[in-house]
Amino acid sequence: MSRGGERCAIVGSGLAALAGYTVLRHRGVRPEEIVVFGTHGDPTEVWRTRAASIRQRRMRSESDGHLAAAAFPGLAVREALHRGTPAPLFASVANRYHPSVDAFLAHADTLRARTGWDRSFRLQRIDRITPVAGGFELGGGTFAHVLVATGHPGLARPPELAPPALAHAVHAYEPHDYASRVAIVGAGMAAATEWLNALAAGSEVVSIRRREPLRRPLNIPRPFFSKRGLAAFHATLPERRAATLRELSAPSYPAGAGWDDPIDAAMADGRFRVVRAGSDAAQTSQACEQVICATGFEHGWIRDPLLADLVERAGLATHGDWIVLAPDSTIPDLTDETRTLSIAGVAGRWAFPAADTIAGAKYAAHGFVRRACRTR
Amino acid sequence: MSYTLRGRVESRLASAVPALVVALALQRWWAVELAALMIGLGLVLDAAVYHRALAYQAGWLAAPLGALELGLVYGGMRLLEIMAPLGWAVVLYAVGWLGAQLFGHAVFPRLRIEYAEEGGELGTFGTIVAAVVCVTLVGGLGAARAVRPPTIHLHGTVQGPLVIRHAQTLVGGVVRGGILIRASHVTLRDVTVIGGENGIDVAHASHVMLEDVRVVRSSMDAIHVRDAGVMIDGCSIADPGGPWVQGVDVSYSIGRPMSMVSDCTIAGVREGIVTHSAAVDVRGNHVLGATLRGIVLGEMSMDTATHNEVVGANGVGILCLDHSTCTIEHNTIAGTRAAPGGDLSRAGVAIEAHYFAQARIAHNTIVASPGGIRAFDQSTISR
Repeated sequence: MSRGGERCAIVGSGLAALAGYTVLRHRGVRPEEIVVFGTHGDPTEVWRTRAASIRQRRMRSESDGHLAAAAFPGLAVREALHRGTPAPLFASVANRYHPSVDAFLAHADTLRARTGWDRSFRLQRIDRITPVAGGFELGGGTFAHVLVATGHPGLARPPELAPPALAHAVHAYEPHDYASRVAIVGAGMAAATEWLNALAAGSEVVSIRRREPLRRPLNIPRPFFSKRGLAAFHATLPERRAATLRELSAPSYPAGAGWDDPIDAAMADGRFRVVRAGSDAAQTSQACEQVICATGFEHGWIRDPLLADLVERAGLATHGDWIVLAPDSTIPDLTDETRTLSIAGVAGRWAFPAADTIAGAKYAAHGFVRRACRTR
Repeated sequence: MSYTLRGRVESRLASAVPALVVALALQRWWAVELAALMIGLGLVLDAAVYHRALAYQAGWLAAPLGALELGLVYGGMRLLEIMAPLGWAVVLYAVGWLGAQLFGHAVFPRLRIEYAEEGGELGTFGTIVAAVVCVTLVGGLGAARAVRPPTIHLHGTVQGPLVIRHAQTLVGGVVRGGILIRASHVTLRDVTVIGGENGIDVAHASHVMLEDVRVVRSSMDAIHVRDAGVMIDGCSIADPGGPWVQGVDVSYSIGRPMSMVSDCTIAGVREGIVTHSAAVDVRGNHVLGATLRGIVLGEMSMDTATHNEVVGANGVGILCLDHSTCTIEHNTIAGTRAAPGGDLSRAGVAIEAHYFAQARIAHNTIVASPGGIRAFDQSTISR
């Protein structure tokens, strides 16, 4: 075991890590028993920067999209009590409540302080997890239970649009302002958000896209968030499961006048036009004062150096972009009665299709804590 | 939330605990039966409808589904003849519904952090609670059935007088010589009584129900109630055995639960419905050809007479008498005849208050009753 009596390690220091940490604390694991390895002491820092970059003011999640272990009281209840009005509760009942980013982050800060996160945090990047008898070696210690919550491997950026090839290109999730003439590459949620942001800033927008945007609800079908849909998902053959994940990953954004009306109005004014990705696109990109890559994140275990190393050295089963996981988000080959290796966050989608959400982070944490607490 | 079937069942049973506690605290069998009906109906809907139709159940659906279940529970209550007071039944249902919301949205997610992703399943704890609820309900229903008064079906004609000294339900048949009821929780249903001094004589009892009984040829009162609380519904009284026969007489019962006489048809008796020192709701009856007064609410009674039809009474149609307080509304009084002798208080009066009585009247229809509406001897009539 590790030197200080720590049994559990969390690799990563973002939102998924904090969600996992609160679950562990809720189940009675003391801060002294947990080490959080990460590169940011503030678990909201990376996400906060990205949200601010795309001017996100409201969460895409609902009342229970918070980082506390128990769903109740949710953010709607807290806001109702804070404001002294039942309006957030009614909105929540109708699935129309989306907490403000500020409220979400304030709650996360409260949890960070209340749970003792800072006592467990260790500023250290983990490059390798080595399975050993009864646990895993990492960060100079041995831990029986390890939760990997490293998040997205990085921002996806087409090589031809990455600096220095295109010096005036920026990713949507990087801090930026809007030039008077902006090319926005992509056709998903981030792209749609950036179209509206740029138009609101008075810019002329050129949308560069390979395909027409898919319009569908933001969240994946709700049965996938519970055993009802997950049982069938887990029972499917790997090919089918991978196809489902690919389908769910396709870039999209919701239908609705809130999205369409500003774009229609801008098109009528000649301030919004669409260019198919290709040779014209390159020319257009060069012609614009600014290029915003709303192209999402890198994906696949192979893009994550830590996971790639683990897969290679431990010979883990994979399928396409995904590491094959047990239904509870653990890695079967490295999990037994004495040790646990779980994956939370986007890399855990083989077990939970919405793994890149807060609900997904908690799902992995629940599976993790069941094992961690069983072997105390 | 996306419930699994097991999650729906466990959540429903465990969240029924508050309603079940209230039902048990009421210490009435109908409460246990109603709780069982609510839960049983809910489980059937869960398995047969909700699980198939609702892959995801939004929070707002609790309201329309709650209203649907309330309607079904009410229908089931009527169908199964669960004798629950409507107000209490609604309260019990409201406790159950609110309990389900409170447990589903707050208590369960708090106690079991995987509640949502487990589709409402509650694990070992939930299974135990669900089992306890089931056992309590089955036990309660069994006990209710075990102590329920026996039901006796009469066939053919029985020679009376029949004396009932224990709680029971008597159904059908013909009894000659009258029936004496001397126990509470007695029900007569579809029984015909022929003759007897009093056709049906109820004394010193509560919760007595006379449903659709027929009484003919009694020599005193067709239905005679003393110091008792009765519910008389749909009775038929005719062919009196002498000139002094009264239809229904509820007297000296002010210390008992309120009585009711409803939807009866009473023809050819001396006085149709009479109360003395009692609290009786007289409603929807037809009193035809009374040889004296149609309906008498008398002697310090606190009665209401509504939606009755009194036709061809002699002297007075509806009389509020002797310090009584009466509410007389929505009645139809027709063809009240003036009694011989020139007494104004019997001069074909449709509605009368007499001797310190207080009557409040409204929306009555009076036809061919020459005495109209009158008050005598320091009585008052307010409209």
